[in-house]
Amino acid sequence: MQKFTKEMVDDYADKLLIGLTEEENKMVLDEFGVIDATIDMINELPDIEKVEPMTHALDDFEYVLREDEPEESVPIEDLLANCDDHTDREVQVPRMVG
Amino acid sequence: MSYMDKSIEEIHEALKKGLVTSDELVKESLEKSHLVQEKCNAFVTILDDAKGTEVTDSLLSGIPYGVKDNYSTKGVLSTGSSNTLKDYVPFFSATAIDNLSKAGAVMVNKTVLDEFGMGGTGTTGHTGIVTNPWDKTRMCAGSSAGSAAAVAAGVYPYATGSDTGDSIRKPAAYCGIVGYKPTYGMISRYGLFPFASSLDHCGVLTRSVRDAAIVTDAMKGIDKNDMTSWNSKDVHLLEALDGNVKGKKLCYVKEICDINNYPNASDELKRHLENFMKTIDICKSLGMEVDEVSVDETLLKASPATYVVISCAEATSNMSNLTGFIFGPRASGDKWDEEMKNYRTKGFSPLIKRRFVIGSYVLQAQNKNRYFHNAQRVRRLLVDEWKKLFEKYDAVILPVGSGPAKKLEGSKDALDKNTAILEDHLQIGNFGGFPSITIPNGFIDGLPVGVNITGNCYEDEKTLNIAYALEGAMDYKGQVCKEVQ
Repeated sequence: MQKFTKEMVDDYADKLLIGLTEEENKMVLDEFGVIDATIDMINELPDIEKVEPMTHALDDFEYVLREDEPEESVPIEDLLANCDDHTDREVQVPRMVG
Repeated sequence: MSYMDKSIEEIHEALKKGLVTSDELVKESLEKSHLVQEKCNAFVTILDDAKGTEVTDSLLSGIPYGVKDNYSTKGVLSTGSSNTLKDYVPFFSATAIDNLSKAGAVMVNKTVLDEFGMGGTGTTGHTGIVTNPWDKTRMCAGSSAGSAAAVAAGVYPYATGSDTGDSIRKPAAYCGIVGYKPTYGMISRYGLFPFASSLDHCGVLTRSVRDAAIVTDAMKGIDKNDMTSWNSKDVHLLEALDGNVKGKKLCYVKEICDINNYPNASDELKRHLENFMKTIDICKSLGMEVDEVSVDETLLKASPATYVVISCAEATSNMSNLTGFIFGPRASGDKWDEEMKNYRTKGFSPLIKRRFVIGSYVLQAQNKNRYFHNAQRVRRLLVDEWKKLFEKYDAVILPVGSGPAKKLEGSKDALDKNTAILEDHLQIGNFGGFPSITIPNGFIDGLPVGVNITGNCYEDEKTLNIAYALEGAMDYKGQVCKEVQ
């Protein structure tokens, strides 16, 4: 397992489009050190790999699908009310392609 | 005459008798809001133009309450206590808030939380630190810090909260009030800003178990907008409170409660655990059987890291829509990614950034099994341990935290390898979606401490009834903090 390094922390932050200060980078590594030590401990648990990962809080959870019926939609003006930069009914963003 | 420090039923009776009007209650609550804001910084928004409502047979009609600022409220600023949403005004309300409105409840303020609920100190909201109304040098815990402070200070009888790890139940203990999160999915999460969807619960902070039952009865219900909600029409929390707990069986976990597990225990911790054992004696005096049980200590010690891995992973995904384009304050930049990076870098607090990076790392294909899946496996093992206890016991009773509210100075919100399992065991209630309630059970040096009762899924009525009986045998029901008074 490759060690989580300062450079990797910056790389992951960059991919998330988040900038970190030196201090913030150190905080990530410090906290991650505690997690890593715990994971080492977890790996020692007998037959841990055979345990089914729990992905949801309720064991008896069932998806229930509702009828596919059209409903009134939200007016576009309401949706755009929180957008700082839009033209008519479209969100304006800097050029992404080309 | 003050009403906001009374119970919901007392206030309702006064309204019905015409001793006070809803408008007068709103006025009193708003005046107290400003006082508490000055002392504790508990609110993001105070709705000075709030108006009273018609008084009906609904117990909540005409009575003011507070809303944690990660609940969407139509036409009212809803920030999640984050700079990234500092101007966000939703076009819809959370289902739980709509349900309270239908019951005639009057929202008077929005309360401060740790940014997006991702903290346990009440110190990371974008409007600043929330201080504890019992002692301003101490924290309220978090993330429902403002809601806990306001209810404890008598601003109103209840406020909404949300709980992903212990965010309702620990602030309740630190502020000497009641904090209840029902079984996962009993209250719709639609309109609650998501933190970690498989762990997030809506809930309530009150000053009594009866009030918690009243408010949850009004908030709950299946919701077509939240496919994880379930039909609870046959659950009647208030009606189920009869205080009859004779023959009920409780257990507490030795590895969490035994002082010998904490070699350098502070005097505060010793007194907290001694006080807990006195509470156990009270349970026995009510006719309940209480046993000490053992749980694998390795699993308990793995709980905090398990929580961080799962919650950070889910949060990283949930927060990816925070770009600053569709909502939130637009940042500057020549390119789209530059703009987005500036928005996220300046908008998120260091704690949030840290959690996103960890969440992203544990989800990478090469790391996923070691971190994320193993955390989900430990989650399964811990929940199975608790489910085994529920085969024999009606509920698990445990102390909350390691004592009263911690000092703000020197506080941090990071995993510490020395963190006692005592501080973090409430997360198991989120892992399994269990109904879980904290009630005050005493004082240490004039500061309140709490005890938690957790039951099996869907057994909310029984869990609350145990808490109700215990509350009735102690002296802390309906208490309002002393300093602000």
